[in-house]
Amino acid sequence: MSEPVSQSEPDAADVLKAQKRRNVWLAWALVAFVVIVGVTTAVRIQQTDFSGGDKLYFSGYLDEAAKDQRDREAVERARAAQAEVDAPEPVVEEAEDE
Amino acid sequence: MSLDMTVTQPQARLATARDYVELMKPRIMMLVVFTALAGLIAAIGVTGQGINPVLASVAVLAVALGSGAAGAINMWYDSDIDAVMVRTSTRPIPSGAVPRSEALAMGLIMSALSVLLMWIASNVLAAGLLALSIVYYGWFYTMVLKRRTAQNIVIGGAAGAFPPVIGWAAVTGTTPLDAWILFAIIFFWTPPHFWALSLVAHKEYEKAGVPMLPVTNGAKSTRLHILLYTILLAPIGLAPLATGLGGWLYGGVGALLTVAFLYFAVKVFRSQAGEAEAGDPERKLAMSMFAFSILYLFGLFAALIVEHGFGLYYPLGGI
Repeated sequence: MSEPVSQSEPDAADVLKAQKRRNVWLAWALVAFVVIVGVTTAVRIQQTDFSGGDKLYFSGYLDEAAKDQRDREAVERARAAQAEVDAPEPVVEEAEDE
Repeated sequence: MSLDMTVTQPQARLATARDYVELMKPRIMMLVVFTALAGLIAAIGVTGQGINPVLASVAVLAVALGSGAAGAINMWYDSDIDAVMVRTSTRPIPSGAVPRSEALAMGLIMSALSVLLMWIASNVLAAGLLALSIVYYGWFYTMVLKRRTAQNIVIGGAAGAFPPVIGWAAVTGTTPLDAWILFAIIFFWTPPHFWALSLVAHKEYEKAGVPMLPVTNGAKSTRLHILLYTILLAPIGLAPLATGLGGWLYGGVGALLTVAFLYFAVKVFRSQAGEAEAGDPERKLAMSMFAFSILYLFGLFAALIVEHGFGLYYPLGGI
């Protein structure tokens, strides 16, 4: 005959205590995550040259070169359109009959 | 007193922090982190590109979290077969410490956080590869392959092979041939590594209905597969010498470890390991090969870390 093994459910107070302990760990994990994201972002910002084409995070384009090319073409088109607007009106010389 | 009171079901117990750490498969996580770090350091050494130490640390942390997330998802899905096998019956879910839903939630949340962290610390390519490796292990290997095919370990091995590629991509934003050589080393290392263990634990896998190679094809076929994959692994393990990724140190360490790994593979092949009549020496031999395979991978990647991280890289042939 073997000794019976007690199968008592964990005490409600113990369960509550364990739950509280877990919540505290979760809170610390969340704080750590926020700190890590903050520090990472600060480092990335320090490294980024915003004057050029440098990107801090993903710009929405997987192919950066293609995006740059599209941007350049858009700028060219805008310049051409502006040049057309700025071009002096052709002077129509009226024929002098006299 | 009556025998009826004897407990047969796992007794519910209160979860501790250790149970949640166990859910993340910390031993696998360590190997994953180590290989990712090797990829990251090798990328710096080979390309000359730098990465801020803080960002590098966060990228490695993201890999660790991703590995832990995939481990938790794996434990959630496999809790039924874990309960059947003695080796895994004490894991947090089958032991009743952590509810299945909590493990799944933990896995999914950590997956998202790890990919997000990788993205903000490095680039979209590294984050994408990390996401892919989590999905590969957590879904493709765990839910699709593991219970369906004896090739589960072969195809699923890719999941554990991603970390050095992720580490490389985190630094350079690219994945050149050298990164994929590191991938191939782990990919071809995984089958002999796991099959050596399965030669010992095949009865457990059989009980759980997992079609591991010794269960479906028998011990003899498994020993042959171990030998073939180890022969295949030998040149791949030394491939970094051909591309210049590995130098003299890697060459020396790699050659020694390769010879020793082949020695173990031949010895296991010629043994009766995994057979019904196999005794303790055969069991010990298979376990020795399993343990040595870990040392093999650790040695190769440690050599790369020492060469590229400590300025001890001397190329073969003075290239």
